[in-house]
Amino acid sequence: MVWSMSDPLDALETRISQLRRAIRDATATGDAERAAELRAQLRRAERAWDTLVDTDDASEETRAPQSAPALRVGGSMLPAREHVHRVLMLLGVPAAPKLIVSVHDAFFPGELTSAKLSSLRRDEERSYRAAPGSRPYYLCPALAYDLLSPVRALITVSTWTVEQRIIGPLSPRVDYLASAIRVAEAVQAAAGSGETGPSPAALRLLWRFAASIPDAAPTGPSSHERPVDPRQVMDAAGAELQVHIDADRADRAAAGRRAHRLTDAQQLFGTPLGDVSKLEAEA
Amino acid sequence: MKAAVDERLDGLRGSAPRLTYSARSLAALENNPRCTLRAVLDASGSDKAAIAAHAGFPTPFGQSPFAIARGNAFEALVKANGCAELIRVLRETLKLTLPEVAYQDLNDVGGNASPEVRCTRTRQLLVNTALGKFPGTLYDHPMLRLQVGGHTVFLEPDLVAFRIEDRFHVVEIKSFPIIDDQADPAQVKAATTQASAYVIALRAMLAEAGIGPDAVSDTIVLVAPKDFTNSPTAAFVDARKQVATLTRQLTRIERIGDLVSLLPEELTFDLAVDEAGKAQRPAEELAAALDQVPALYRPDCLSHCEMAFFCRSRARACASLDVLGPTVREQLGGIDTATMALGLARGELTADVDQAEMAAALRHAARLRAEVLGQPGGAGAAA
Repeated sequence: MVWSMSDPLDALETRISQLRRAIRDATATGDAERAAELRAQLRRAERAWDTLVDTDDASEETRAPQSAPALRVGGSMLPAREHVHRVLMLLGVPAAPKLIVSVHDAFFPGELTSAKLSSLRRDEERSYRAAPGSRPYYLCPALAYDLLSPVRALITVSTWTVEQRIIGPLSPRVDYLASAIRVAEAVQAAAGSGETGPSPAALRLLWRFAASIPDAAPTGPSSHERPVDPRQVMDAAGAELQVHIDADRADRAAAGRRAHRLTDAQQLFGTPLGDVSKLEAEA
Repeated sequence: MKAAVDERLDGLRGSAPRLTYSARSLAALENNPRCTLRAVLDASGSDKAAIAAHAGFPTPFGQSPFAIARGNAFEALVKANGCAELIRVLRETLKLTLPEVAYQDLNDVGGNASPEVRCTRTRQLLVNTALGKFPGTLYDHPMLRLQVGGHTVFLEPDLVAFRIEDRFHVVEIKSFPIIDDQADPAQVKAATTQASAYVIALRAMLAEAGIGPDAVSDTIVLVAPKDFTNSPTAAFVDARKQVATLTRQLTRIERIGDLVSLLPEELTFDLAVDEAGKAQRPAEELAAALDQVPALYRPDCLSHCEMAFFCRSRARACASLDVLGPTVREQLGGIDTATMALGLARGELTADVDQAEMAAALRHAARLRAEVLGQPGGAGAAA
């Protein structure tokens, strides 16, 4: 049932082994400062990996009770970018600031506002350009499949593959359905935890998803009194996803091949618009 | 010939920069086509708001900032998350099939939001879609171009133009509610008129690529809040009549020369703005210039024309029946002013042949009124 385009876990694992190698090199050359910095990065990457494994476990079979509560522990003091990263790792797809804030409110403690988000993205790019690769991950814009230019207001994580960060014509819908599944999984995990169950904000969020997916919301008399069933949302979203997924993957893969020709910075933050006439020639 | 007309229009506008038509001013063409003043001001690209204000009749409220904010918020809600709500509504009402979800954002092209670039991209995508080369469905804020009176106008449907079974449909997102399948007729009419300008522009764009007008449906899809909720619903609105009217008015703009040639040679609406941005032209002189162009005031001008307050004061000053609206006007066919109507009712004026029937009706009405009010005789009853 879990649907994740080229697993973010894989990307993180690659990242972790890269960091380990870099630490070994740094210690070998006696660069203690660099090694310490890399260790910090490694710890963060491992934490991200742990978090991700937790959510995936929860969705897989056990509906593990640790998921939601574990995420709630000590989360309120994190900087905004960590909040956003955590939400994006939960969703697994590019998301708009508004959705990020709703998901954050639904599943995580601490305060996150859309105002913070808008300044965040600029800072990320500046930080990357100042010292590329010095952070374990960057929050970057999604890329348009045609121009490989940054897509307004869709945030992704740099550890994802470029295909995952590309937005094709069908991707907004595909990503919406994929996030519906992830949110339903998280609600189910929280319900299984037994302590408090899913927060009202989480149920509201799930209901909003269910309302715009065919057959996802309960039907029949007194349907609005019954809560939305996460299982039903997952099934309905999965069913519609099957309709679009192949075409969308093909679009993204084609764009991804073109993107690999770009520089690293362009692959993360997009290319500025060059020449529209070139586009016309292609079309 | 054409150049001479443009010169005259530039003269009428004076030193001010030319304003292009917008969806609003195009819609006004359909609303009050017989008004010469509005036609001349719009065709010359004059700033009507500034002229009205300088003539002593500022528009006291423009578009309400609250209405605009509400409209934008509703549009954002409908289009959020890859148009999730819009897709639901269109599937319910228009039987859009499951695979039809492709979405193209045309708000900017790779960060470039200039109208020319967006228009090029829009044309490229829509033409390819019409030719079946590109599987598009939803187009967010496409940029269309229309030639009006020899000048390029960019129209940005505040909406999504989209395709069901090989036809483009213009979708207009509005924030006034549809309650029990009924919406305010005036609001619907305004939305439809605006959308018909988009239909015409879209057809013109496709025609350049050799695609016939049938590719664009003249049925508008209106998306608005359902009942008292914030959740959107959609309805079809037939815009055939308005598309036809607007098309006719647009061809008439080409003949603006006929109207202009009737005006005095030296007439101008120049405000003589100095460096500080203050208008130096005496207000009386400007008003006198405006008075030389016949205006046709109607009460609904107040909702779409900046000159409305000026025209209303003029219409009131000469006791014109226009102030009372088209219903009264049509009832009293052949009679232009309230003074004349009252005069005929009291029998103080003699009706000519054309007015005889109307005069009899008026005298009868005056008699009835007098009887009801218990006043002796009909003649003394003042209206």
